[in-house]
Amino acid sequence: MIVTYNWLKEFVNFSETPEELAELLTMLGLEVEGMEKFGADMDDVVVAVVEEKQQHPNADKLSVCRVNNGKEILNVVCGAQNFKQGDTVALAQVGAELPGNFKIKKSKIRGEESSGMLCSEKELGLADESSGIVVLAKDIAPLGTPVFEALALKDTIFEIGLTPNRSDCLSAIGIARDIAAKLNLKLTPPDIAIIEGADEVSSSISVTIESPDICPRYAARYISGCRIAPSPEWLVKRLNAIGIRSINNVVDITNLVMMELGQPLHAFDCEHLSGSRILVRTAKEGESFTTLDNQQRTLTSTDLVICDAERPVALAGIMGGLNSEIEKTTTSILLESAFFKPAAIRKTAKRLGLHTESSHRFERGVDIDGVIRAIDRAASLIVALAGGVLAKGCVDIYPGKSDRVAISFRPEKANELIGIELDNDNIIEILTRLECKVLPSINGAFLVTPPHYRIDIEREIDLIEEIARLNGYDKIPATMPIAKVISDRPTKHQQIEIQLRELLVNSGMAEIINFSFTAPEAAGKLLLSEDDQRRTTIKLANPLIDEQSVMRTSLLPGLLETVARNLNFRSLDLKLFEMRRIYLPVEGEDMPREPLWIAGAITGSRDGGGWSRPNEAVDFFDVKGIVETVLDTFKIGGVSWDTDLLEPYYHPGKACRIMAGRECIGSVGEIHPIVQKNFEIEKTVYCFELDFEKLVKLAKSKTTITAPSRFPDSSRDIAMLIPEELQVSKVIESIKAVKAKEIEQIQIFDVYRGKGVPEGQKSVAVHIRYRSFERTLTEEEISELHKKIITNLTDKLKVTLR
Amino acid sequence: MREQLEKLKNITLQAIKESSSLEELQEIRINLLGRKGELTALMKGLGLLEPAERPIVGQLVNSVRDEIETALAAATESANQKLIARRLQSEQIDTSLPGRHPLKGTKHPVSLVIEEICSIFAGLGFAVAEGPEIEHDWYNFEALNFPPEHPARDMQDTFFVEKSLLLRTHTSPVQIRTMLKQKPPIRIIAPGTVYRCDSDATHSPMFHQIEGLMVDTKVTFGDLKGILTVFTNQLFGQKTGVRLRPSYFPFTEPSAEVDIACVICGGKGCRVCKNSGWLEILGAGMVDPEVYRHVQYDAENISGFAFGMGIERIAMLKYGISDMRLLFENDIRFLRQF
Repeated sequence: MIVTYNWLKEFVNFSETPEELAELLTMLGLEVEGMEKFGADMDDVVVAVVEEKQQHPNADKLSVCRVNNGKEILNVVCGAQNFKQGDTVALAQVGAELPGNFKIKKSKIRGEESSGMLCSEKELGLADESSGIVVLAKDIAPLGTPVFEALALKDTIFEIGLTPNRSDCLSAIGIARDIAAKLNLKLTPPDIAIIEGADEVSSSISVTIESPDICPRYAARYISGCRIAPSPEWLVKRLNAIGIRSINNVVDITNLVMMELGQPLHAFDCEHLSGSRILVRTAKEGESFTTLDNQQRTLTSTDLVICDAERPVALAGIMGGLNSEIEKTTTSILLESAFFKPAAIRKTAKRLGLHTESSHRFERGVDIDGVIRAIDRAASLIVALAGGVLAKGCVDIYPGKSDRVAISFRPEKANELIGIELDNDNIIEILTRLECKVLPSINGAFLVTPPHYRIDIEREIDLIEEIARLNGYDKIPATMPIAKVISDRPTKHQQIEIQLRELLVNSGMAEIINFSFTAPEAAGKLLLSEDDQRRTTIKLANPLIDEQSVMRTSLLPGLLETVARNLNFRSLDLKLFEMRRIYLPVEGEDMPREPLWIAGAITGSRDGGGWSRPNEAVDFFDVKGIVETVLDTFKIGGVSWDTDLLEPYYHPGKACRIMAGRECIGSVGEIHPIVQKNFEIEKTVYCFELDFEKLVKLAKSKTTITAPSRFPDSSRDIAMLIPEELQVSKVIESIKAVKAKEIEQIQIFDVYRGKGVPEGQKSVAVHIRYRSFERTLTEEEISELHKKIITNLTDKLKVTLR
Repeated sequence: MREQLEKLKNITLQAIKESSSLEELQEIRINLLGRKGELTALMKGLGLLEPAERPIVGQLVNSVRDEIETALAAATESANQKLIARRLQSEQIDTSLPGRHPLKGTKHPVSLVIEEICSIFAGLGFAVAEGPEIEHDWYNFEALNFPPEHPARDMQDTFFVEKSLLLRTHTSPVQIRTMLKQKPPIRIIAPGTVYRCDSDATHSPMFHQIEGLMVDTKVTFGDLKGILTVFTNQLFGQKTGVRLRPSYFPFTEPSAEVDIACVICGGKGCRVCKNSGWLEILGAGMVDPEVYRHVQYDAENISGFAFGMGIERIAMLKYGISDMRLLFENDIRFLRQF
C-alpha cells in the first residue's frame, strides 16, 4: 500500500515528522518498507523576483535578468518570453540539481554571466511539457523559500508492507484511522456532498443479484450528461504520487476513492449496457470474455461476472470489460460499488493470473458497510469534476445483510496473556479509540462490538492483540517464564548425528549442503538399472526448473556435481561429505520415507602435498579408512566388505558393499569411469555412502574395557608369496584361526608386486606381536605358536614363505 | 717409587688436560687403570715392599688414583658437553618452513548456526524435535489456521507434490506434530529444511528454519519477549537491542516481528539494515487458540508462544555473507573459511 504524508495529514492533524510517522506506523504493525521524499532534493530552487529584464546584447532570443533571491541580486540569462520585470519566478541557484541529472553551474552565455536558471514546470519535473517558465503568484512566499515548499509540493511517499489481516488499511483512511487511534487524535473523513437530480435512479438502471452467496451486496448510481476529460492537476498529481497513471476524470475518481476508502469501484458506460441493467451471476462454463487489458479470458462456472441484459460486462471484483469501458464520448455512467466474497475472487484471480488493485482488496475482504459511503464519495466527485446530473437515490441490493456480533471480552485475560497490568478504564479507552463499542457484561467481562471496517476482529484474542498493539509492544516487560523442569536429553539419533558430523570434520572433510531436489536424469547418470528403486522419485508439481524437479533418492549426484564444480575452479584436493535426507516413496503409503544418509567423496592429493610430504594421490584405502573410523567410533564390529552385488556407479574391481551381518549398511569405492564422465569429472574420485538409520541401530554405546598387560611383548614377522586372487583378509583370518590369546596384534606392513615376485602372485609381509596377560613368554613358547601359524598358512592357504 | 708415582701422576694429568675426545680419555683410563694399566701394575707391586712401607705407599697410590679419576671424570663431562654442543650446532633446521597440518575439515555454516542455536535453547530446557519435509497440507497450513483459499497462503510460495502433499514451507508443522504427540508442558526447538518456490540473491528455493514452541500454564507474551531477548543476546552478544513490533501470522496472536539492532552498524543505519538501524530476524507470537483447537488442547487453561527464524539469514549476518547462493554452491574455498 502506498500513501503519502500530506494525504494522511488531510485526515489526521498529527505533528510527527515523516521519520517519526514511519516509526509510529511500523510499531503499529503497518511496516514502512520504503520512504521516498518528493521535492526534498529541490531546495536549491527558490522563490525569486525579476527586478530587471533586458535584451541580451549578443542574442535576439535571450534576455539578461537581475534576479533577487532575498539574499542577493544575481545575473541570470533566460530564453523564455512569457514573463516580465517584477514577476515572481522559480530560480534554480548555482549548485541545484534538476531532474535528469541537470546541474546548475555558473556560466557565460554569449558573453553574459549567468548565475542560475529560471525554471519551467518541465525542468522541475512537474509536467511532461511546458511552454515558458513558471510564473508564481506574487506573494506566494518570502523570497528564497524553496519553490516546492511554496507550492506545497513537498511530500513523503510511504510504502507500507501490509499483513494479509489488515485489509482495512488498504486505504489512506484506514492508515489514518490507526494513526488517530494511536495518537488519540480526531479523524476527519473526506467530504461527501451529494447533490442529486430529480429523476429516480430506478427509472434509468436496475440491478439483480443471481448469486447472493458470492455477491451479498451490490450498489449502483447513475450519472447522466457528464463530460469525460483529463483530470485536474491535483488529482493527476495525487495518483502519480501513489503510482497510478491518470486516464480520465471518471476513471481517476474511481481509482482515487479506492485508494482513499479501500472500496474498489467500477464505472460503466451506460450506453453500452444493454437494457441499462446489471445482472450479477456466475459465468457459464467456457464463456468467453474480453477484459479491459484486451485479453480474451475463458471463464468457468466458479467465476462471478457482472452482466448487462445480454452479456458479461465485467469480471466481478477483478477487471472491467472492454465492451463497456469509459471512453471520451461517454456521457452516462453506471457507477458500481459492491462486495464480493474473498475466496471466490481469489480463486478466479489466481486461475487467470490476473492480480489487480481491485482483486487484491476483495481477496482480503472489503468493508461491506462502507459500500455506500464510497459510491457517494465517488458520485459527488464525478459531478464536481465531470459535470452531469446524479440520479436521485442509490440502487442498493443487499441480500447478505447481517449484524456485527458483539464479542465477550475479559480484561483480566488480556492482562494475563500479554503480561501487563492495565486497568479497565485503560482497556476501555483503547478499545474506544479503535471505534469499538464497549458494554459491560457479566462477571467483569465486556461486550465489545468492533467497527464494521475491522473484519479481522472476530474473537476475544483478536481484541487482546489490539490492546497489546495499541498500548505498544514496547511497553510489555520482558520476563522469564516460570516453568516445570522437563527432563529431556538428545535422542540416540541426535547424539550420533552430532558425533558423526564432528568425526568426519575431524577426518579433514568439509561438510556440504546440496538442494534436496535434483534433475530427473540423475539416476541415469549413476547408471542405475531400469528397475532400481532409486529411479522411483517424488516429483514436484511446480518446479522452478527441470534440474530441481524431483526429490533426490541418493546423495551421490549432488556430491559428484559439487566435486565437478570445485575441480572447475582448480580446487583439486577435495574431501567432502554431506549428511542429509533422501526421499523414498513407500508403496501403498501417502507419506514417503525420509532417511538420513551420509555420503563422502575424496580426490586429489592425500594431504595436500607440500615440501614435507610425498605428494601421493588418495586411493580406495583412504576412503575405506574413513568408513572404518566411523564404524570403529560407534563400535560396530563384525563388518565384512563384500565385492558382489556392487552398486553400478563404482569401478567393479575397486569397490565393495559394507555388510553388518546380512545387512548392507553402505558402500565404498572408486567411481566408475563412465559415471565420472557423466558428471564431467576428469579425476579419479572415491566415494562412500552410509545408511544413517542402520548405523544408529548398530551403534553400541557400552564398551568393555580390558586392563593392559604388564608383561613384555615379542614380535615376529612373516613374509610370504600368495596368489593374486587370494584376499589378504583370508591370511589374517587364518592367523586369527589359531585362536591364541597371546596374539596381541596382527599388522600387514607390506603388500608388493613386481620385481622378484612371480607373475600372478603378491608378496605380503605380516607383523605379529605376542604378549601374555599372565607372564613373560619364553622364546620357546613364542616360536611354537609362530610355527603353528606358519603351518596353518602354508597348509591351508598354500602360501609360500619367502 | 714415590718419585715414580709423582711422575706418573703429572704425565697423566697433563695428558688428560691435552686430550680432545672421549676416545682419548678412555685410552688414558685403560692405560693407567685397566687390568694391564701402569697404576694397576704399581698396585700389584706393593706386595714386594717392606711391610712397614706398604701402608704409606698404598695410601699414596690411592690418592694418586683418586686424583686422576677425578680429573678423568671432569674431563669426560666436559668432553661430553662439547660433543652435545657440537651436535646441537650442526643440527639446526629452518623453522620458518610451514608445519605438517592434520587436514582440517569444516562444518557447513548452516550446521554451525543450527548447533549454536540448539545449544542456547538446550540451556533453557528446550528439546530438539523433528518432522518430515514432505508434508501434508493439513499440518503445513490448515492446522496452523491457514484455511484453503486464505490470502495468508500467498505469504509462502509452495512447492506441491501430489494430492495433499507439499514440501513444507516452514518448520511450523513440527509444532502440530509435537502437540498431537504429547501434552503440555512443551518446550521444543525444531531445526529443519524448508522450501519455497522463489530464487534470487536473497531467496533460495531450499533453506532452513528453526522453530520454537513453549506451551505451559500462564505463559505470557512478556515471557516470549524475555526468552527471545536472552536468546538474541547470547547469539549476537549481550546488549544487542531487541524490539518486537506487531505483525501477523495465522497461527499466532498476538504476533510479532522481532528485530535486533543492526549488527553491522550498531543501529546507526547502513545498507544492510536499509538505514533503519534494525534487522528483522524472527517471527513470533502467542499460539493462536485455533491451533489449540486443531490439536485438541484446551485454550482456556494453557498458553504458549511460538517463534521461527531463518538460519541462512542469521548465518549471513553472523559471517557477513551477502549472497545466499554462496551457501549452497559448496565452493571449498568458501567452506574452508568456517
